Amino acid sequence: MISNSLIKPTYSQQNHYLVKNQILLLFLFITLFEINDIKAQTPSDALMMKKSELCIALIYQNDTWDEYWEGTLLRDNQNIGVLTRNTALPMLAYGVSSKFNVIVALPYVSTEASRGQMVGASGLQDFSIFAKYLLYELKKESGSLSTFVTAGFSLPVSPYLSDYLPFSLGLGTQEFSLRGIINYEHKSGVYLRGSYAYLHRTTTEAERNYYYADGSFYTTTMDIPSASNAELALGGWLFKKAIQLEVGYVTQTSFSGDDIRRQNTGQPTNKMDIASINGRLRYFPSILKGLSIVAGYSDVLSGRNVGKSTIFSGGLTYQFMLKKS
Amino acid sequence: MTSNKYLYKLSFIILLFSIVFFIQGCEKDLPRYVAFEPYIFTNLDEDGGTWKQIHMSSIEQIIIEAPTDPTSDAYKTEVAATKAAIANMTSDDEEAIKYWGNNPIVRWNEIARELAAKYNLIPPPNADGTYSSPDPANPSKFPYFPFAHPPYTSRAYAYMSVAQFDALIAAWHYKYKFGRPALYKNEGAVKQLLPTSDLPSYPSDGAVIAAVSREILSVMFPLEKEYLTAKSDEAKDVLILSGLHVQSDVVAGDSLGRGVAKALLERAGSDGMKFAQSPKPISDSIKNAAFVRFGWQWTNQESPVRPVGLTPLCGNMKTWSVDDLEAVRPPVPPAIGSAEFNKAADELINIADNITTEQRKIANWWSDGFNTTTPPGHWNKLAVDYLLKYRYNPLRSARTLAYMNMAVQDAGICCWEAKYYYHYPRPIEAIPGFKGILGTPNFPAYTSGHSSFSAAAAAVLAHIFPVEKSFVDAWALEAAESRIYGGIHYRFDSEAGLVQGTKVAEYTINKARVDGAD
Repeated sequence: MISNSLIKPTYSQQNHYLVKNQILLLFLFITLFEINDIKAQTPSDALMMKKSELCIALIYQNDTWDEYWEGTLLRDNQNIGVLTRNTALPMLAYGVSSKFNVIVALPYVSTEASRGQMVGASGLQDFSIFAKYLLYELKKESGSLSTFVTAGFSLPVSPYLSDYLPFSLGLGTQEFSLRGIINYEHKSGVYLRGSYAYLHRTTTEAERNYYYADGSFYTTTMDIPSASNAELALGGWLFKKAIQLEVGYVTQTSFSGDDIRRQNTGQPTNKMDIASINGRLRYFPSILKGLSIVAGYSDVLSGRNVGKSTIFSGGLTYQFMLKKS
Repeated sequence: MTSNKYLYKLSFIILLFSIVFFIQGCEKDLPRYVAFEPYIFTNLDEDGGTWKQIHMSSIEQIIIEAPTDPTSDAYKTEVAATKAAIANMTSDDEEAIKYWGNNPIVRWNEIARELAAKYNLIPPPNADGTYSSPDPANPSKFPYFPFAHPPYTSRAYAYMSVAQFDALIAAWHYKYKFGRPALYKNEGAVKQLLPTSDLPSYPSDGAVIAAVSREILSVMFPLEKEYLTAKSDEAKDVLILSGLHVQSDVVAGDSLGRGVAKALLERAGSDGMKFAQSPKPISDSIKNAAFVRFGWQWTNQESPVRPVGLTPLCGNMKTWSVDDLEAVRPPVPPAIGSAEFNKAADELINIADNITTEQRKIANWWSDGFNTTTPPGHWNKLAVDYLLKYRYNPLRSARTLAYMNMAVQDAGICCWEAKYYYHYPRPIEAIPGFKGILGTPNFPAYTSGHSSFSAAAAAVLAHIFPVEKSFVDAWALEAAESRIYGGIHYRFDSEAGLVQGTKVAEYTINKARVDGAD
C-alpha cells in the first residue's frame, strides 16, 4: 500500500528541505480505488524525514459506495446495497538520510455488503515498500521548488482471492511503481504540488481455468492492467504551522482492460479508472512534540468499473529521532 | 547535492525499473484457445457408415451426388486449383491451418463454448423493478437473445454434437461408397500440411462439421451468424490449403452438413425450449402446487425479486433417451426443520464459518456461473481433452460428444423437472441469516444441477474411456461437493443429483452400447 513520509514542517532557515507532508492525501489515493486497488500508491507527497528520523502512523479508513460504474454506466445494485470497505493501515517511514527515505505499509482490510447473501472478505492485504529520493531543490527568497522520485513495490501477503469482486481485498498482484513529484512552496506557506506515477502490475491467479474478458482465456492467470496516477494538490499552513490543510484532485487510468458487462460482476482484468477530489486536515497538538492527528475526506467524481466511493479517514502519526544525529 | 549526483541517482532508479520491467516480461501471452498439435488418428473407423444414427431415419436421408472420377479432366482441374491455392498461401493461412488442425470437432466445440460464455448473462432489472426477457424474434433488442443459461447451453451443445455425429456417420457411408482416394495419393503430388490418413476424401468431413456447426450455432446464437459464417469459411479454406481436399469434396460436405443440421433444427423447433421460460401465472401455479403438496416453496431472493424462476417448464422438454422422467425423479427431500434438514444446514453453517482456502478453490473451480461456459461446457472441455489424448478421429470424437451431451441435456431436463416439482428453498432462504461465497441462482435447490450434469457426463466418459473412470468420477464428486462449499446447495441436493445424473446417463449409454461402434 501506500506510505508516506511525515514530518512536522519547520520554517527554520537552517532547514534546507522544507516540505509539507501529505500522508493522508497519499493514503487517500490508495483508498480511492475501492475495488481493491488499494494498492501500491507510492508516497506522492513532498516531505522527507530527516536522517535517523522514524515515523509511525496508524490510519483508519471507511470507504462506502452504493453506486458503481458497470463499464461507463453508473448504477446501483440492490443485491449489494452499500459496499463498505474498512481498512486499518499501519505505516513506518524512516530517514536513511535526509534525501533518501524508506517507507513500508501493510493494511488490514475488511469488506461487506449491506444487502444480498454473499459474504465479504477480510485479512491482510498487500505489503508495500517505497524508496523516496529528493532529487533536486531550488530555494529562493520567495519560495522553494523541490522534486522527488519514489520507487515502490508491493505484493499480496495473504492468499486472498482477487477474483471476488466487489468484495476482494485487493487486485492480488505485484506492483512496481515509479513516481515523480514536483512541489512549489511560497514563503507564505501556501504550496502547490503535482505528481505523476506509472504503476506496473503483473498478474493475479484466479481459481478457475476459464474466464471471459472480451473473449476466452484458457488459464488461471489474469493480466492486471497497468495504470497511470496523477495528482494536483493545493495546500497551506495555518496557526503557526499547527494545522495543515490541503485539497487535491487525483486521477488514475488503466492502460488496458475490459469493461464490466451488463449485470456481470467485476473482474480483476477490468479497466479501472477513477477521478476524485479530496481534502485533508492535519493537526499538530502542542502537548506532544512529534504527534499529529490526521483526518481526510475523499469523493469519487467519475469512474469506470469502480465504485463511487466516499471515504472518511482518520488517524495518528508520531515521529521521533531514532538516534541523535 | 550536485547535479551529477542527482543524475546518477536518477539513472540508477530508471535502470532498476527497466530491469524489473524486462524481467516481468512484456505482457504475458495468455492462451485464448487450447493449442494442440495436429495428430495421426488412432484408427479410421472404416465401418463408421454402418453405425446407428441418433436422429436421422436413413443413412442417405440427405443425398449428395457421386463425385467425378479421379481420372476425369474435371477432377484434374480441381487438383490443380488446390495446388495453386497452396502455392499462394499467406502466413495468415498457415496460422489458420495450425489453428484448425485435422480434427475440427475440437475447434467448433470451443467456438460453441465461447458463445455460451459470451451470452451467459442474466437480464438486469429495469428502472421500475421489472425484468425484461430476451426475445428470439428480436434477438438484438436488449436483453440480447439468448440468455445462455445451463438448460440452454446443454441444449446447444447437444444439438450441435448430435448433428455432427449423424452427419459424419452419413459422410463415412458416402466416403466408402464413393471411394474417392485421399488426395495425398494423387499422382499430382499435392503438398500436405496436415497429417494424412487414408480416409476417402469425398465428402470432406471437415466441411460437414463446419456446415453442421455453423447452421446449428447460428440458430442457437442468431446474433453470431456473420461470425460463424466467417469461421466456417476459414475452416473450409484450410481444407484446401492443407492439401487434404479439392473443392468438390468441400462443397459436398457442406451440402450434407446443411441437410442434417436442418433435420436436427426441426426437432429443436418443437422440443419445448420455446415454452420453458413460462409466464408468471404458470410459474405461480407450479409453485403453489408444490406448496400444497409439501408445505414449502422456493422464492427468488434477489432485489428486485425476479417474478419467474429459470425455465420452470424445462422438465417438459423433449429428452433424447429418457422415456419416463418420474422413474428417475429423486425421492422427497427432508422437511424444513427436520433432523435431516438441520444436519445439512448445520454443515453449511459450519463450512461458511470456517471455510478453508482449499474449499474455496473447489467452489470456484466448478462454479461455472455467469459469463462462463456453464457446467455442461466445463465437461465438454474435459471431454475434448480426452479426444486429443486418445487421438480420436472426427467421427469418434463426434460420437463421444454426442452421447455425453445427450446425457447431459437429459440430466438437465430431469433435474429441472425435480427442481420445480419439489420447489425446495435454497439455504439462503431456509436458513435465517445464511450467507455463502457463491451467488445463489434463480431456481430452486433440490437437486443440484452441477451434480446431475457432472454425474451424467462422467458416466458417459467412463463408458467410452474406461481407463479414466476414477478421474471423471472424482471430478463429478468434487463438482457436487463444490456447491456445498459455495453455500448454495444442501448435501442431500448434491447426493440426489449425482444419483439422478448417473441413472439418466444409463439410458444414453444403452444406446451407445448397440450403435455398432464398439
